[in-house]
Amino acid sequence: MTSPEPTGSASVAIVAAGIISPLGRGLEATARALRAGSDCVTQVTAFDVSSARCHTAGQIPDEWIEDLRASRASRRFHRASLMMIAAIRELRALDPGFAPRQVVIGATGGGMTFGEAFFRSLGAGAQDRRRAGWLANYNPQKPVLDAQEDAGFRVPSIIIANACASGTNAIGHAFELIRCGRHDAILCGGYDALSEMVFRGFDSLQASTPEKIRPFDAARTGLVLGEGAALLALENREHALARGARILGLVTGYGISTDTHHITQPHPSGIGPRLAMERALGSAGCAAESVDYINAHGTATTFNDATEGLAIAQLFGNRVPVSSTKSMMGHALGGAGAIEAVISLLAIREGLLPPNINFSACDPAWDLRIVANRPGVATVRRVLSNSFGFGGTNASLVIESAGSN
Amino acid sequence: MDVFITGTGWITALGAGLAEVWDAVLCGTAAPVRELAGPPGHRAHFAAPVPANLVDSVARNPRLRRSSNISLFAAAAGLAALTDAGVDPASAGKCAIIFATCDGGVIYTRKFYDQVVRDGAGSPLLFPETVYNAPGSHVAALLGLDGITYTLVGDASAGLAAVELGVQLLASGQADQCLVVGAEEADWILCEAYRQWRLSGSGVGSNRGALIADGAAAIVLSREGRYRLQSVSCGVPFFRQSEAAASLEAALGQLRLPVAPARVISSANGTFVDRAEQSAIEAAYGPGIPVIYPKISLGDPFGAGALMQIICAVQSLRQDPEGSVLVPVIGLNHQAAAAVVS
Repeated sequence: MTSPEPTGSASVAIVAAGIISPLGRGLEATARALRAGSDCVTQVTAFDVSSARCHTAGQIPDEWIEDLRASRASRRFHRASLMMIAAIRELRALDPGFAPRQVVIGATGGGMTFGEAFFRSLGAGAQDRRRAGWLANYNPQKPVLDAQEDAGFRVPSIIIANACASGTNAIGHAFELIRCGRHDAILCGGYDALSEMVFRGFDSLQASTPEKIRPFDAARTGLVLGEGAALLALENREHALARGARILGLVTGYGISTDTHHITQPHPSGIGPRLAMERALGSAGCAAESVDYINAHGTATTFNDATEGLAIAQLFGNRVPVSSTKSMMGHALGGAGAIEAVISLLAIREGLLPPNINFSACDPAWDLRIVANRPGVATVRRVLSNSFGFGGTNASLVIESAGSN
Repeated sequence: MDVFITGTGWITALGAGLAEVWDAVLCGTAAPVRELAGPPGHRAHFAAPVPANLVDSVARNPRLRRSSNISLFAAAAGLAALTDAGVDPASAGKCAIIFATCDGGVIYTRKFYDQVVRDGAGSPLLFPETVYNAPGSHVAALLGLDGITYTLVGDASAGLAAVELGVQLLASGQADQCLVVGAEEADWILCEAYRQWRLSGSGVGSNRGALIADGAAAIVLSREGRYRLQSVSCGVPFFRQSEAAASLEAALGQLRLPVAPARVISSANGTFVDRAEQSAIEAAYGPGIPVIYPKISLGDPFGAGALMQIICAVQSLRQDPEGSVLVPVIGLNHQAAAAVVS
């Protein structure tokens, strides 16, 4: 299958964004962490990891979200709900006039910690009045509804659960809906909160590392998990300009592919990532040579980096700066693609190449231009952001400066 | 652009034959239930299981040999729908897969976390199957498709959100055909959780809570065919159960039906949904429209429920093609939505 032709003509603008991750709460704090190349991975404190292979994760400090527990209802909210509320409030503050017609959010774990608490309470044999509330908070739509209610957005929402590509898929699907004229304005993004069950899952696969996370490094030993939420306000550019909205950037391309090789391992040829990137470039109508920076999926697992690195090298050679910002904050799963889309936007705004920290030497299997350890300074007009996940789901976005179209 | 349903398939507690199960629904035949034992000191629950022999053929596939029930159900229903549509996936052009579920692979999730709690570590064979998109991934692998695969999660309304997404993919040219699959698997812990939420009951036909069921349902959407998907509302959220009727009424308004539907395939499941749905339909179209209640027979396979209703609508049109059939869906904690098939 070749790259699809663009399916619509509308230009899709980013008019606001909101983010919370281990890098910081808000766009400015995140930009500061990127400029500093901060290592925001810390010892896990939320649950016992003494018997696990990995002991660290990128975690959002409780004090960053405790102010959001002001109302009686929000006292029972899951961390993921509070993260989503933090992100949506920042987004609304940037553009109070943004009125989405649909919400598209990516997530994988939802309120898994409520499921864990429910399971453990059964083992204890005690009746607990909180159990009913635990189930009501378990499903991934609950944090989305909590954030929608907080913002007053009573519009339809869909939750895409395409594993680690979910956030990118959500933004990509929203982009397609606006580009083809289905809607004028869509709130999109992704979230995930750290949970013991998922942490232990990656540990069981020996995908997580007891060491530092070193994407694309010859000595990489695996990923560490993270958490966070990020949202983008996407709007038909003409519609946004007509109401006087500020255009922060554009989404111009989206590519998706499914690699059916294995449920947890990509095909070694890199065909899955390559198809997603080719399709995103085709969707944006741009050549590989025009990309200024690639925010890679870069989990630092043996398999992901081998195939993604190969696919990037095949498509781009060693000309384009590449980094994985997971090196600074871990892998936020369903939130990762959305967080990295916001980081891509910040790279454009700041003229910044976010660093790939903990880096020593590139895997000799390919020759990539890694932004090693310290941020770079560059004019960044066009970014390719990658997300790949379990089940062979692959997605790529093209994000550009507002002046590009 | 018109969108049509060109194939249907399901795996239910009453069987897998389209006509056979539909006849049982019309007769009000109740699916057999199975007792699910819980941990020591906890009550047993009843659920409506899919007979194991219905998924024997897909279970022999190497890709699925370690997979959970929900993946087997999804694969069997998806293949049945493609066969019904006469579609060969290898030559299907741009065929997208959209999978919908509510609780996902809950059996392996429980087993994996049980190992973590007991032993301090879980099996790497179980964990990948706990991920929501595992069934959709397996279906894509069975069909050899490398294009769009989406997994949607929500309450029962996720099934119609998946249908709406399929319509969007066809309309935008991203896909030429869409296989939309919904699936759910029953487990003791799920029954217990819904009981404590006061939403599950203990017997077929109970009006005191849903009977949780296994099952999967799949439809093929295309730009040509016999059964037209006349309209789909993309859903109206409700933040509390008391708002469900108003949300469905708003969803019905989005359908813009010129005349009242000939009949309704209900999402009633023995919970607050029943009254909310009846109230919204009467407010929109008045009383007296014939209503068919498939979940009395099939139980409630939440993520598959809306697509089972769609298949019932198609089956009813096969018998009586006059008029349109309304499929209203009220989920338990997300959205109300509706579709019309003619």
